[in-house]
Amino acid sequence: MSGSTFGSPTFYSRFERHAHGEGLKGHATHYCAGCGHGLVHKYLAEAIDELGIQDRTVAVSPVGCSVFMYYYLDVGNTQAAHGRAPAVAIGHKTANPDSIVISYQGDGDLASIGLAEVVSTAQLGIPISFIFVNNAIYGMTGGQLAPTTLMGQKSSTSPTGRNTFMGQPLKMAELIAGLDGPVYVERVALYDSKQRVKAKKAIKKALELQVKGIGLSFVEVLSECPTHLGMTPEEAEKWVDSSMTKVFPLGLKKDVTADGAHFPTLPKPTFDTGHLLSVIDAKAEPPHRFAEGFPTHLDPADVSLKLAGAGGDGAQTIALMLTKAAIAEGFDSTYIPSYGPESRGGTSYADVHIASDEVLSPAAPDPHVLLAFNQPSLTKFAPHVRPGGVVLYDTTIVHDVPAVAAGVRVVGVPFTAIARDLGKPMVKNVVALGALQAATGLFPAETLLETLRTALATRAALIPLNEEAFRWGAKAAAEAP
Amino acid sequence: MPTSAGTSRPRPFVFPEYCKGCGRCIDACNKDCLTEGTEINPLTGLVPIQLHLENCNGCGLCIAACPEPFGLQPEPGDDFELTDPEKLFGARAHTAHVPVAIADRKVTLPKMEPLVVKGTYASAIGALLAGCRHVYGYPITPSTEGAELMAKLLPKLDGVFLQAVSEVATVNIMYGASGAGLPCMTFTSSPGFSLMLEGVSYMIGAELPGVFVNIMRGGPGLGNIAPEQADIKLACRGLGHGNTQALVLAPATPQEMLDLTMLSFELSFKYRNPVVILGDGYLGQCTGKVALPEHMVVPGLPEWAVWGDAAHRANVVCSIVLQETDLEAHNEHLNRKYAAMTANEQRSVQFECEDADTLIIACNTPAQIAKGAVRALRQQGVKAGLFRPVTLWPFPIDALRTLLPHTRRIVVVEGSPGQLEDELRLALSHANITPPTIDHVRHMGGVLPQLGEIVSRVLEPRAQEVR
Repeated sequence: MSGSTFGSPTFYSRFERHAHGEGLKGHATHYCAGCGHGLVHKYLAEAIDELGIQDRTVAVSPVGCSVFMYYYLDVGNTQAAHGRAPAVAIGHKTANPDSIVISYQGDGDLASIGLAEVVSTAQLGIPISFIFVNNAIYGMTGGQLAPTTLMGQKSSTSPTGRNTFMGQPLKMAELIAGLDGPVYVERVALYDSKQRVKAKKAIKKALELQVKGIGLSFVEVLSECPTHLGMTPEEAEKWVDSSMTKVFPLGLKKDVTADGAHFPTLPKPTFDTGHLLSVIDAKAEPPHRFAEGFPTHLDPADVSLKLAGAGGDGAQTIALMLTKAAIAEGFDSTYIPSYGPESRGGTSYADVHIASDEVLSPAAPDPHVLLAFNQPSLTKFAPHVRPGGVVLYDTTIVHDVPAVAAGVRVVGVPFTAIARDLGKPMVKNVVALGALQAATGLFPAETLLETLRTALATRAALIPLNEEAFRWGAKAAAEAP
Repeated sequence: MPTSAGTSRPRPFVFPEYCKGCGRCIDACNKDCLTEGTEINPLTGLVPIQLHLENCNGCGLCIAACPEPFGLQPEPGDDFELTDPEKLFGARAHTAHVPVAIADRKVTLPKMEPLVVKGTYASAIGALLAGCRHVYGYPITPSTEGAELMAKLLPKLDGVFLQAVSEVATVNIMYGASGAGLPCMTFTSSPGFSLMLEGVSYMIGAELPGVFVNIMRGGPGLGNIAPEQADIKLACRGLGHGNTQALVLAPATPQEMLDLTMLSFELSFKYRNPVVILGDGYLGQCTGKVALPEHMVVPGLPEWAVWGDAAHRANVVCSIVLQETDLEAHNEHLNRKYAAMTANEQRSVQFECEDADTLIIACNTPAQIAKGAVRALRQQGVKAGLFRPVTLWPFPIDALRTLLPHTRRIVVVEGSPGQLEDELRLALSHANITPPTIDHVRHMGGVLPQLGEIVSRVLEPRAQEVR
């Protein structure tokens, strides 16, 4: 009789991955006699059969005794690093939303090293089925203290029994049920026929909720580890019943599946060329050019500028505009920011290079042009401006001009006062940009105005005010002493 | 075979060699049909249970209590022979198809104007053009803008950006998405990359592709957020535990951030191995001109993927290989891949090297600065050239070798305590090349070598020459 239906068809007919399937290992698990993992595997396999999802299922094996689940379940299999099964499960579910993903973990894996992953994934609520096998001990490493080990329970790393110094046992089902993400959380056991029926039902329900796209499920299974409990399988069953369930009460912990809510449909990517180009804001039309050529009056091949102020002065915005304008004019350009660690109000410097051929070093330690928004920036950088360069600063708030190199032109413009007069203090950087244009002749005004308009294309109402700010800045610089 | 009276439900049956004698079935039976065994099975050394089915009503509770997949079973019917388990457990009619690789598709792009974007953005756009729609990450300066752009753009492309709970989770989510066969990536910076390395080792072991863009910052520890190059050792020599190597690419401009990110996806799938892009903080933040490529990629699906469908059901992604000889064979297989990468993927760029007697070797932003230094030196009549490794692993020793006959001196310029120089020296040593004099300009902590000091170092006579 070939093609036998012995066992669930979701088990491989021969466990080829178990020591190459040789001898008895081809049909026997690696689990110790009486271990609960085999039962959980079996209920999983049967639930997969009953739901008809064998081809869609991806099972994530953990690290621990169940590391070899992929020996047995004839589904798509992957094996995760210790504690990371939920993360791997997210990867599979987001890659193929049609797959049915099982994150299978033991108590060391899930409740110790993988706490961050399980909690964050559970809160995410993405439809994944969690099977958590809690046997109150580390199995594979040889019977050490687990986060779920009971108080007083002896293990190889709690030889006189768990005490309060080792912390209390962690109740994962309750913890997970306290999160908003999961739709179904239940704790079941395997110690008698009644519990086994409930366990099988819970495991099937956890998968079914994923098949229906409803949400994330978490089933904790209290399981027996006779070997490391030092008990017979029968004693271990009794111990789970009498001792474990006291600390880990069985039953439904959360079920919000009746409210009809579904997890949002996960996206499936698109690859349309035109759409992608529009999303990355690529343009086919070449920009207008206004400049006659490279601003060689500043440097034969590579002009560098430093824009410096405090966070919020807008130095970065106009630095980016300068680089965009230069590239629109057909030159190479780079802009590199430098911030202080504060999100707002710290130092904010920007270095810009404009090169006829290729920008080499993006930094501007000795710039041709310095634009300083405040006193510290002017004091710090003005002495480094190259001979023949230009220093611009805000006369509204800066009063001490340091010594500069020979031939450096110092131009003071009241950026802040002009912007204030325009009724919009925020545009002081555009006032400064106008001043920079007029004082340096870097590019024609129209080059920068065009860049300004492009930058404000989605906020067109702001364009007139900004153009005005630019022109006032340019005018003030032209008239400056 | 006899069946239970009054019911069609089959009775239990077990092959003694597949029973571990745990006895869980014994308590499950209300009719006392099962008892502990008394004889050791010679094949297993275990004591299988014994069946006494006189009172059996076929309730099946014992079967449901048996933890073994081929343990207690319903009797299969009349036409089987108890003596021939091999026949019973013979191969099932396999419903899974044989997976066939679906190739990537290259789609020509129309001619577009160059973008003006920062390095991290260029890399993100390169990933999108390479067909990546799955990006996972954890915020860390100075790499975060890459993730931020992906968070903004991917929903418009029906892709997925997910901010993971940590870098540790990030790399393992990548393990999953990549295991499903899709291109995926992350942006990170030095401390975050350290955290990812266990997962990178798993990905290498499991032969999974994936692109890691590490915008290096100052270290060790929390260090600072300024540009350093001190993860070269980590990327080239320390990708987590075990026998690990990955292609390490070092872009020098925003343009290369795009180009090399696209290339990384191709190489990552070609070798089924992660690829690391090492940028420096400057490059990540530096905005510049970035031309778009001539094509974009629509990803296919490799035959090895664990996709979650019938065709790929037989696949497994794992890095555990229990038997020593198997794991040695797996490592030899990995070594052959590393050797192929070393033979085929060395990349470098030369500037004024043809007649150079002094070679500056630098990568990332320091290489751009060094290029300026070469220009300045050439104007002074010094025969200097820049040799810029684009792959740091494998080090492009084959190209360098051809330049050495006319090279009197090498000056390694780097923002690290000599990690690039170590790669150079290792490559020279493995190639049995006696190098010319090697000098260096080094900075650390986020200070980058400046053009002036590179020029000075090249011009200053060496101590030995003075002596």
